[in-house]
Amino acid sequence: MVETGHFALVLAFALSLVQTIVPLFGARLNNQRLMAVGGPVAVTGFALTALSFAALASAYASSDFSLANVWENSHSLQPMIYKITGTWGNHEGSMLLWVLILTFFGALVAAFGSNLPASLRANVLAVQGAIGAAFFLFILATSNPFIRLNPAPIEGRDLNPILQDLGLAIHPPLLYLGYVGFSICFSFSVAALIEGRIDASWARWVRPWTLVAWMFLTGGIAMGSYWAYYELGWGGFWFWDPVENASFMPWLAGTALLHSAIVMEKRSALKIWTLLLAILTFSLSLLGTFLVRSGVLTSVHAFATDPTRGVFILCILTLFIGGSLALFALRASRLTAGGLFHPISREGALVLNNLFLTTATATVLVGTLYPLVVEALSDDKISVGAPFFNLTFAPLMVPLLVMVPFGPLLAWKRGDILAVAQRLMTAFAAALLAMLVTALFISGATVLAALGVGLAVWLVLGALTDLAVKAGLGNVATGIMVRRLLGLPRSVFGTALAHLGLGLTVLGIVGTLCFGTEKILSMHPGETVDLSGHTLRFAGIYPAQGPNFSEDRGRFELIGPAGNPVGEISSAKRFYPVRQMTTTESGIKTLGLSQLYISLGDEGKDGAVVVRLWWKPLVTLIWGGALVMMAGAAMSLMDRRLRVGAPSRRRKQADAAATAISP
Amino acid sequence: MLFWVIAAILTLGASLAVLLPLAGGAKSASPSGDHDLEVYRDQLTELDRDAARGLIQPAEAAEARAEIARRILRLDTAGPVAGSSARPASAMARLVATAAVLAVPLVSWGLYSQIGSPDLPSQPLAERLAKNPADSSVDELVARAEAHLAANPSDGRGWDVLAPVYLRMQRFTDAAAAYRNAIRLDGDSAARQAGLGEAIAGAAGGIVSADAQDAFEAALKLDPANAKASFYLAMGLAQEGRDKEAEAAWQAMLARLAPDSPWRGAVEQALAKSGAPEVASATDAKGPDAADVGAASSMSPQDREAMINTMVAGLDDKLRQNPRDPEGWMRLVRSYVVLGKADQARAALGRAIAVFGAGSEEAKKFTAFAASLGLTATE
Repeated sequence: MVETGHFALVLAFALSLVQTIVPLFGARLNNQRLMAVGGPVAVTGFALTALSFAALASAYASSDFSLANVWENSHSLQPMIYKITGTWGNHEGSMLLWVLILTFFGALVAAFGSNLPASLRANVLAVQGAIGAAFFLFILATSNPFIRLNPAPIEGRDLNPILQDLGLAIHPPLLYLGYVGFSICFSFSVAALIEGRIDASWARWVRPWTLVAWMFLTGGIAMGSYWAYYELGWGGFWFWDPVENASFMPWLAGTALLHSAIVMEKRSALKIWTLLLAILTFSLSLLGTFLVRSGVLTSVHAFATDPTRGVFILCILTLFIGGSLALFALRASRLTAGGLFHPISREGALVLNNLFLTTATATVLVGTLYPLVVEALSDDKISVGAPFFNLTFAPLMVPLLVMVPFGPLLAWKRGDILAVAQRLMTAFAAALLAMLVTALFISGATVLAALGVGLAVWLVLGALTDLAVKAGLGNVATGIMVRRLLGLPRSVFGTALAHLGLGLTVLGIVGTLCFGTEKILSMHPGETVDLSGHTLRFAGIYPAQGPNFSEDRGRFELIGPAGNPVGEISSAKRFYPVRQMTTTESGIKTLGLSQLYISLGDEGKDGAVVVRLWWKPLVTLIWGGALVMMAGAAMSLMDRRLRVGAPSRRRKQADAAATAISP
Repeated sequence: MLFWVIAAILTLGASLAVLLPLAGGAKSASPSGDHDLEVYRDQLTELDRDAARGLIQPAEAAEARAEIARRILRLDTAGPVAGSSARPASAMARLVATAAVLAVPLVSWGLYSQIGSPDLPSQPLAERLAKNPADSSVDELVARAEAHLAANPSDGRGWDVLAPVYLRMQRFTDAAAAYRNAIRLDGDSAARQAGLGEAIAGAAGGIVSADAQDAFEAALKLDPANAKASFYLAMGLAQEGRDKEAEAAWQAMLARLAPDSPWRGAVEQALAKSGAPEVASATDAKGPDAADVGAASSMSPQDREAMINTMVAGLDDKLRQNPRDPEGWMRLVRSYVVLGKADQARAALGRAIAVFGAGSEEAKKFTAFAASLGLTATE
């Protein structure tokens, strides 16, 4: 089984080479047969990669330590779920997951791309095949998970305890679905550049892929943030860590792409810019993979001492980013520009959005790469953290967020900003009220906190205003209004949901940062502590034994107003003997939208324990907002217009043209 | 064999994925103009909807309609792409097709023969543990016992049997845990307490810590004649620099021990060693420090051996630069013997004797010391 998986991987590599070269020649020579090869090969390649991945996963599940990769990252005592998630909890396995998703998306294009022009489809599959070939080669040459050990050790070295968590089951697959989803947008862009023209159906194809990728990336980042929040025991939800930035940059660029693709799809404008953005977004995904996988982040010098992997990824990076940008420089001038619009219009608003988002991406990029450059040039290790991003990223985001409610309300081609402002008066008044209430009635609220709350309310109500206005609130009878609301295209709901989710996330961030409280104290069993109106009693420390760890679990009782316990929170320190590592399991109690967060520290000599407690108001909204954004993307995906683009043979094209020209 | 059959089937399937579209009849593809037209037509209906909903002003809508109409016209003048399927395949196309079909088996089998291990079967752990014990390695037997104890953790006898095996395998942390379990479940005994002490000391790289000392003292309380406990307690004294007391304890042991006791050799050896100024030499050629020891106890056996090898090599180097260190030489010889490198041990002995001169006091000590380790100088 194991060697079958290994062979399937090699075979998938061979097929990816065929997928790269044959359809490309087919499109060049205008040979239908050669072009037709791309589809079946892409599907078969996916099936083989899936077989290979299944073989590795089953080796993990059955603790087959004759694989070096399993031996290094698994242990026979681990619970089954972590044995399986351990498959991608390491470099080699995660790269295999990466290509599995890549070939999966390629297979989707092959399976559902029958309504694409043949040459475009062939070129897209060829580019997709090329990315696949590069990564297959990378895996086989430097990160092969199927290297065997003979004789096989009897016990493995255990998975890194921090990764023994349900988060590993969800976070990487979601994140990779996002990263790799953008590869399709990239392939479409490069294919258009190879062909030298952009079909009208191009944008209709690229937008759903962008939506899918963006949806998963949003989920992946949110899940990663929540995982870090509860697993690392620091109570923070975002650290501006380079690894986080690596996933955040494609998200920002992808958000810009999502918006510019709307303009392209509806008005056939911004074609060239959208193309460039698609290339940049996937380039940032590749860069993210490079940063996380090459070890360059730990130390530039560590990277230099064992450079095989890093240099390989660097070559892939240069090839794809450099190659696509060079192609862009050569071919962009041949692409025709599209529709015209006035500066104040929906198109104009989307351009502004793109301007802010790309600048923000550049800011994060600088903040992430600058320390690496400094370390490489001068040997100094510096870290660029929250202060830098607060000073640069936040000022860029605030005006963008203020403008968000205007965008969907502006008309296409030429908009009336004053009329839109009037429609938003209610939302504005409510936001103002929220600010005043926050500043006057909540103790400890700063001006910034009040402004933040106002901004969040503005975003949420702005999104709802959009729906209300489009349903005709105030102009038509209630019955008609409901009917019009239900008749709105799904993408309108998608936009409103996504913007609403953004508002919720902002509210969660502001709530946690501005109104949260924190206490660090040493507690004896039986003592109580008050935290923002909640009383906690420390019941004591209880040792327990897990399948592959031992733990000291500290139990806390939440005391109700009547003095009786109404709930229990427990936080633990776990010790994993195989890796000789200690982890902290934070204790979290969700009360409404807020959370009580407890992290256990060291035990003192007299039985006292250092306890860190946080009260995090509205914190769940940070991730809840992301879920709402994902729901918005899913809603948009269901829009009917995204299914259009295939020539139907029912109607004669002549009479269609005739009806079209007569207005 | 089965593997090769599966590999052949997979290769065949992959080759067919390439071959079938090439051999199949060319489908009549719709020219790309049709696709564009469909999109433009949809844009027009959408424009009407947007205009009805007031998302675009009437004047702009008319303008946009004209824009789309112009695109449709341009599409018509560009003309449909000439149907190419009827055209016979060019020589180039045939070349590419042939190369592609050949590439699949050639690349896959060629590459796999370089990097694969086709003869190595899968070895799921459950299967390995289920086979006949007579075919199992020590590691596998231990793993089997571990699996049994994981299912029946209150089997005190099981822990009692496993603990000394761990000790011999130098898995000191596991050994200590096993002895503790045995003591908890089957009660105290001198042998278990002494074993526990040895395990704790082993985990600390041979240092008799306070915990180990407690265990040895408990063993002596149960059986005052326990040789292992007495020996290690004396070793603990020596490590604290209380050489006189250690020597006295060892001497007392020698007097008590039966003539054929296996501990006799160890005690004599320890006595021979304790004559040298341990503390002074520690600065010249120091043994592993606490950090090293801590690191060693958390390592896998392979890593630990590698670390010990590097430490021995380091000692060897130091003695090359600073050879007048009799204690260091003895430690080096002893290290090589322990590592099973008799040749190197002998060479080191020869070098040591050469440094101090063949007839010197030290040389005699070296020879006696080597003899106690079962080693004879060749030169």
